Amino acid sequence: MHVPDGFLSPQTYLPAYAAAAGAWAYAVRQLRRRVDETLLPRLAVLSALGFVLMSVVLPLPGGTSVHASGIGILAVVFGPWITFAAVSLVLLLQALVFGAGGITVLPVNALAMGLGGSVAACLGYRLLTPVDERAGLFAAGWLATVVPAVLIAVVLGIQPAIAHSAAGQPLFFPFDLAVTLPAVVVPHAILGVGEGLLTVLVVGFLRRR
Amino acid sequence: MKDRLLLLCYAAAVIAATSVHDPRWLAGGLLVAVALAGRQAPAIGWRALRAVLFFSLLVTVGYAAGALFGQAVSVDYLILINIRVYLLIFLTFVLAARVDLLRALNFSRDLAFLATLALSQIITFRRLFDDLRLAAESRRLRRLRLREGYLQSAAAAVHLFDRAEHDAREIALAMRSRGFFQPEAKGDARGG
Repeated sequence: MHVPDGFLSPQTYLPAYAAAAGAWAYAVRQLRRRVDETLLPRLAVLSALGFVLMSVVLPLPGGTSVHASGIGILAVVFGPWITFAAVSLVLLLQALVFGAGGITVLPVNALAMGLGGSVAACLGYRLLTPVDERAGLFAAGWLATVVPAVLIAVVLGIQPAIAHSAAGQPLFFPFDLAVTLPAVVVPHAILGVGEGLLTVLVVGFLRRR
Repeated sequence: MKDRLLLLCYAAAVIAATSVHDPRWLAGGLLVAVALAGRQAPAIGWRALRAVLFFSLLVTVGYAAGALFGQAVSVDYLILINIRVYLLIFLTFVLAARVDLLRALNFSRDLAFLATLALSQIITFRRLFDDLRLAAESRRLRRLRLREGYLQSAAAAVHLFDRAEHDAREIALAMRSRGFFQPEAKGDARGG
């Protein structure tokens, strides 16, 4: 789901950094209020957990597979703010150390995946759990995949409108919303089913012990 | 200080590379980045190519395919976007090769500490995850059914959760025993 560097305009990533900085500051304040002195080690270990959960295999019919995101699982177990902070740290390390994603797309990826995904997962879980907990867990995993996809598709899709040459040629990502929304969201809506199933299984295992 | 300065230069270069829309300037920037990479340039170049190939090819082919449907397609745009994307990822890999990230992040002690701890834990968790994957593969006689595949992935994830809880507790205890959480000892414990 990561957008690589070079496809987002400064008109997008600079305001996104401002928004993300506010969200990071709020997340840290929230966490300091709720978590004791063990916040730093806990956040570091959860970031590592988030990093490696992104390597967990999501089997697909036909013997193929993709990688999970694990955001729904982290959000349900630990809450949205710690998930947002941990995912942001993972994205920072991925961008600067492992060369995945990138520094210009970091705030957009962090806001979409870390904040949008985890808040949507928690809302879905809370709404559906009174009816059926497994439905709530499935919704958490599915929403944690689909909501970031929608947000990223929108950010990509507005690039031709906000960053183009005098002749009307795009300067960054070339496709508009009519292309990005179906191209990004539909595959993720299908992959989200796998993420939802994994969330049901993992959180189910954790709760049963 | 040198690492922090290089990180700032990298940030400035990234902003410049996304603010300039002339492919000749970007190509010039790429030459400078290659010069900065020195002997590592071929290895970094190859790594950068592999990192951008899938997404860039997808966008390039998708955009070029627009010509089949009568849309205006600009070759200049394709050159611009591909040089820009490649330059940015090349710069990132040069940064990773030339800069000690943990020193560069030292402007915030908490962030440097967090990054150090997270990186060390990532190495541990990756090794553990590889061990789990290899152990599962060595015991597998046939391709797993879909349900079995999910159960295996879920079991691995649960094991990683257990390990995360355990490690977080252990690290917190180790830090407490060394006086890290006492305000007056905080600076000393962090080497400040």
